[in-house]
Formats: sequence, structure tokens, C-alpha cells
Amino acid sequence: MRVSRRLLLKGAVAAGAAAVLPERARARERVEPEAGAVGMLYDSTRCVGCGGCAAACKESNGQPWDDPRELSSTTRSVVKTRRLGRPAADGAVTALVKRQCMHCVDPSCVSVCVLGALHKEGRGKRDMGGERRGTGIVLYDKDLCLGCRYCQIACAFAIPRFEWREAFPLISKCELCRHRADPAQEGPRAVANPACAQVCPAGALQYGWRADLLVEARRRQAAEPGRYQERIFGEKEGGGTQVLYLAAAGVSFADLGFPELPEGSYAHASETVSHAPYLNGLAPIGLYAAAAYLVRRNRKEQEGEPSHEEEKP
Amino acid sequence: MTAQARARAIGGPLLDRPMLWLLALFAVAEAVIVFRFIDGIGAVSNMNDGYAWGIWEPVNVVVFTGIGAGAYSVGLLCYLLNRGHYHPLVRPAVLLAAIAYSLGGASIVVALGRPWNMYLLAAPPLWNLSSVLLEVAVCVIAYVCVLWIEMLPAVLDDAARSPERARAAWGQRWGRRLARAMPWIIALAMLLPTMHQSSLGGLMIVAGPKLHPLWHTSLLPLLALVSCLSMGLGAVVVLTALMKHTWSARLDGLLLADMSRVNGLLLVLFAVVRLADIAWSGKLGLLLVPDFHLAFFVLELALFLIPAFLFLSRRVRQNRARIAGALAVVAGCSLWRIDAFLTCYDAGEGWSYWPSAGELAVTVGMAALGVAVFILVSRLLPVVELQEPVVSTSVPAAVAAFVLSGPAEAAQGQEAPRVTAGPGAAATRPAEGAGAPG
Repeated sequence: MRVSRRLLLKGAVAAGAAAVLPERARARERVEPEAGAVGMLYDSTRCVGCGGCAAACKESNGQPWDDPRELSSTTRSVVKTRRLGRPAADGAVTALVKRQCMHCVDPSCVSVCVLGALHKEGRGKRDMGGERRGTGIVLYDKDLCLGCRYCQIACAFAIPRFEWREAFPLISKCELCRHRADPAQEGPRAVANPACAQVCPAGALQYGWRADLLVEARRRQAAEPGRYQERIFGEKEGGGTQVLYLAAAGVSFADLGFPELPEGSYAHASETVSHAPYLNGLAPIGLYAAAAYLVRRNRKEQEGEPSHEEEKP
Repeated sequence: MTAQARARAIGGPLLDRPMLWLLALFAVAEAVIVFRFIDGIGAVSNMNDGYAWGIWEPVNVVVFTGIGAGAYSVGLLCYLLNRGHYHPLVRPAVLLAAIAYSLGGASIVVALGRPWNMYLLAAPPLWNLSSVLLEVAVCVIAYVCVLWIEMLPAVLDDAARSPERARAAWGQRWGRRLARAMPWIIALAMLLPTMHQSSLGGLMIVAGPKLHPLWHTSLLPLLALVSCLSMGLGAVVVLTALMKHTWSARLDGLLLADMSRVNGLLLVLFAVVRLADIAWSGKLGLLLVPDFHLAFFVLELALFLIPAFLFLSRRVRQNRARIAGALAVVAGCSLWRIDAFLTCYDAGEGWSYWPSAGELAVTVGMAALGVAVFILVSRLLPVVELQEPVVSTSVPAAVAAFVLSGPAEAAQGQEAPRVTAGPGAAATRPAEGAGAPG
């Protein structure tokens, strides 16, 4: 009787291990940009601050126009005027910057999301419908969202917004207008079609394959030496992002409101630290077995003295 | 005789005045919670997109569960390190933990924006195994169940002592069955907190640039684990002292002294690991920047090191100062947790946060409910070991006595040499009388 129960428990532990191990066995590697990654290139030097992109964003996402100054649960894209710490190379004391979801290559929000409500397109726990693998767009599946807001804590760019005054709140952030994709087209527009990029009159905003956008950014830097600062924000920062930024010479990205990030992603750092002690799931099983053994042994020893289980009332 | 044999229900009025006060505090919290579910979290809180967790996560979850870690740390000593004489502390510690963790869990449900989706946690295929919070959530839910199962022996003991024959027989039969299964459950009760308490610290690693470098380190999980052991031991010492003054619970001075010594070592370990890590990562320069971060850092360190010093001095850990020390430990560990999650977390430019009255009401009300449930269960079930004869004081009078009374305990003869060696210690130890009437 007793033996069979023990066998049962061993079986349960083994089953647990079998369930956990394959998942853990895929050790956490550095995430590289996917081949089919789409993104945007924003050129701060060309932006004229008309706000057309923000208006188009609201229209395409069915949100009312309210002259936004900051991202909010009803604003997924905004153009801000930033006062510079010191004047730019051309003497400007302010610079424009469009803020929206960066669609990180290895996003913290995706790493922390409890049930994978925020997920890379095609790589979630379930398909929301027509998801393609490899685009790298960070999508939000409200039906898997607990509203824990860990994404807001985790996002270094402070992008995800929460509907604080709703009884049934949602997280809101740019999804690159995946809903405007046109399958009839060839190329990146078959994947998504950001309204903001489509309306930009100044050529400051361009949508396309991330790899192409990087080439284009470098081409612009080479074509007009002295116009841009040499960094392309998002190429490497925080593991890389799919929305890339060019800034004018002498303008630091910190002045534009971006955090100073290491080359590796925080998702990678956090998962490595958190997973390492688990030794692919072996550590908890070993700990449990050791604890069970010690508890039983010690209890037998302590039962040398009369214990309450044997005591008659 | 082991401890549980002597534990008994306190009895006494269930709805006395302090209980009514506690319930009134909870009623206020409940009103706020109702409003929150109708009009959204923003309606009752000052949480915003920058400070998305407000005080509910740092205090109601991270601090409450830290206080509840007493069951973990006392359990480790009692069951794994084979110090059977810790048994009398286990049941009160487990009850405290069961309540603290349940309240932490309940607070999460209030704080979650879309709690109705929680049922999906029951579907492992949906789990994002990368998420530290998933680990915390699943582990804490499991641990709450384990803790309440650990409380079942109290129910069965109570039944076994019933004058009703059938009930007594039922209590004895199931008591024996449960006792056989207990080692497997206790082992879980050792494993789960190891996992989720370290993960609680690990939650903030991903916050990277937002967390002040004096708090942000890859060692956050280790620090959280060590600090929960300290905090749990401290909380049990405070709880035991409160119960002695409230209900004349037995207080084994030697046991508390022994536990405080262990705690002293843990506190030193925490401080050494933290300082070494700061030095190792080349952050020592930050200790020269006089801002509020440094003030909190120094305050935390003081609240760790002063009690450590107290506990490691034999004279002090055997007198009343150890209770002050234990309070300092709980305060220090709580402060470190709140700092890492809120005070020294910087959401970036343009964000500010101060808790609203509604948020505070929920936090206070949840804590009040915890105290109320602890009193209620202790009155009804054999949890606390009592001195004879039973004297049931009212809570306020007892708290007043606890705060005001002179060093009464210091007078209790506790200088008797301890026999600590080996598994036989519990049996041979001469200390049974330390807290006994007299």
C-alpha cells in the first residue's frame, strides 16, 4: 500500500520532469533579428513635427483625436519636441522625436508576460488568427492578459499603457498596424502597413524589412556626412529593436528621451539568472527529493520520543 | 510530549471590541475594492503607467509573503536541520504564513486588471516559462494550498479531542493518515518558498535601467531568499512575544535565543553578500553620492546590521532587546523589498507616484483581516501552546503591556547551558521550564 503510493509519487515527479525538461532544454540563447523582421526607420532630422502620423495612428486604431502630448491608453504614437541638453551641431536647441513601441528584437514585455499575451507574431502560445512567423511584430492578445502590468515595469522604453479607468481594462501599444496588412501585395506590406509611415509627408518615416531599413539608414549617413550622429538607435541597443532611429549630429539619444542600454537584452539577462539555478528543472526535483528524505529521516529520529500522533487523548 | 500535544484553542469571545475594529478596517478596504471593480483601478489608486504596481505589489505581496516566510524558515530549522524542539513554533508560524500568503494572493486578484483570465493559469500549455512572474504566481498558489493543508492537523487534533466519540474517532483516524502523508507535504513546503521567494527578487532584474544600481543586481534572487529567511524568523519572534502577552502563550526563551542567533548569521550573510556584490560590480562610487537612495541604503544596512549585532551577542539575544531586534529585522527586510520595487525604482522623467488613501485602505484592511483571522483561528483551534492556567487578556491591554512592561522576560532564567548537539537535543534539553509558569 505504502509502496504503491510512493511509486505513484515517483511517477508524478517523473511526469513533471518530463513535462518541464524539454521546455528548459532549449537553453536561453541570444535572440537575433529574424530574417522576415519588419520595422520602421524614423529620421529625426527630416521630421517636421506635423503630427500627421499621430492622427493617422488614431484613425486607424479607432481612437478619438485629442492632440496627444504623451503616449496613453488612447495614443499609440506621438511626436514630441525635446529640449536638448546642449545645442545640436547645426545650433538647434530642440529636436523632434516620434515615440511608439520599438518592437524589440528580444522584448522584455514578451519575456515577462505570464501567459504570453504579449508575444512575437506567430510565436505565441496560441494563434490570434492569421499570424505569420518571423515578422517580429509584438502583438497583444487580450484574452491571455491578466492585467498584471509586469510589461509596464519591464519595458525600458515605458511603452505599454493600461486603461486605468476601465472595469475591463486592456493594455495598449503599437502593433505596427498589422490589421492594415494587404495580403494582395508583395513584400513587407503583406505583413503590416503602418498608417503613420504611409502618411508622413516629410519622408521621415519609412516602413519595411528591418534589414533594408538598416541599409537605408547607413546610406543616408554616408550620403550626407555631418548631418547625422553615427549611432543608429535600435541597431544594437538592448539586444536591438525593429524600429530604428536616426538623430542629427550632436544630438544624443538620451536627449531624445531614450534610456542608456547595454548591447544585450534585459530579457536575456533576467531569464539567464532566473533559469540557471533550475538546472533544466533538475534542481527543484532534486531539492524536493532531498527535503522529503531528510524530513522523513528526521521525523523517525524525533519519534524516538513519543509523538502526538501516537498519543492517546 | 511534543508541542502540538500542548497546543490548545484559546477560546474566548469571537466578536470582542478589537475584532470589531479589525473587521471595520477590512470593511473600508472592501468598499474600496468594490469601487475598484466597478470603476477601474485608477479610480481608487494613484497608480499610473510609470508606477504600474503602486504599493499593492511591493507591500501586499512582497512584504506580506516575506512576513509569512516564518513557516519556511522555522520549518527548515525544525524539519530539515532536525531541530525538533522548534516544533512549538511551527503551527503559529504556519498559520501566520497561510494567512499572509492568502492575503498576498487576494491582493493580487484585486490588483490584476483582468483577473477573470486567471483560470488560464490552470493550463500549463499556456504558461510562458520565461516569465518570472508566472513562476511566482503558480508557486504561490501551490504554496497557499500546501500551507492550509499544513493547518489541517490542528483541525483534526481538535476533532480528536472532541467528547463526541464518532468525531474523536474520525479526527484520530484522519490525523494518522495525514501524519503519514505529511513528510511529502512538508518537503513541498520547503521547496516552493525556495523557488518563489528567490523569484520575487528576480522579478526586478528585467527592470534594468529603471532600478537604482545599488539595488539592481543579478544576485537579487539570492538576496530575496536570504532576507525572507531573516524576515520570517524575525516575524515569528515578534508573533511569539505578542502571543505571550495577549494569551499567555508559552514562550521558550532559549528557543527564541537560538533562533535569533541563526538570524544574526543570516543578517550578516545578507549584508556581506550585498556589500561584496556592490564592490565587485564597481558600484562603490555610488556610496559617495549623497541622495535619498543613499539614505535608504544606509537605513536598510543599519536595520540589518544592528539586529545582527544584537543577536550575535549572547546577553542581548536572551533578553527583551531581541524583540526590538526582531522588529528591526522585519522593518529592514520590508524596507529593502519596498525600495527595490518602488522607492528606488525610477519610471523615468515625468512620472511620480504617492499612494492614494484608497490604496492605503486596502493594504491596511488586508493586514487587519489577517490579524482578525489569526485571532479567530487561534480561539477555535489548537494552534498556540499555552501556559497554565489560561489567562485570556484583551488584545489592546496586552499590546500595551507588551510595549510598556519592563524587562520582565530578561528576568526569566535563561542562562542555563544549552545542549545543542545532535538529534537527541530536543529530548535531553533542560529548557522545558524556561517559559513555563512560575
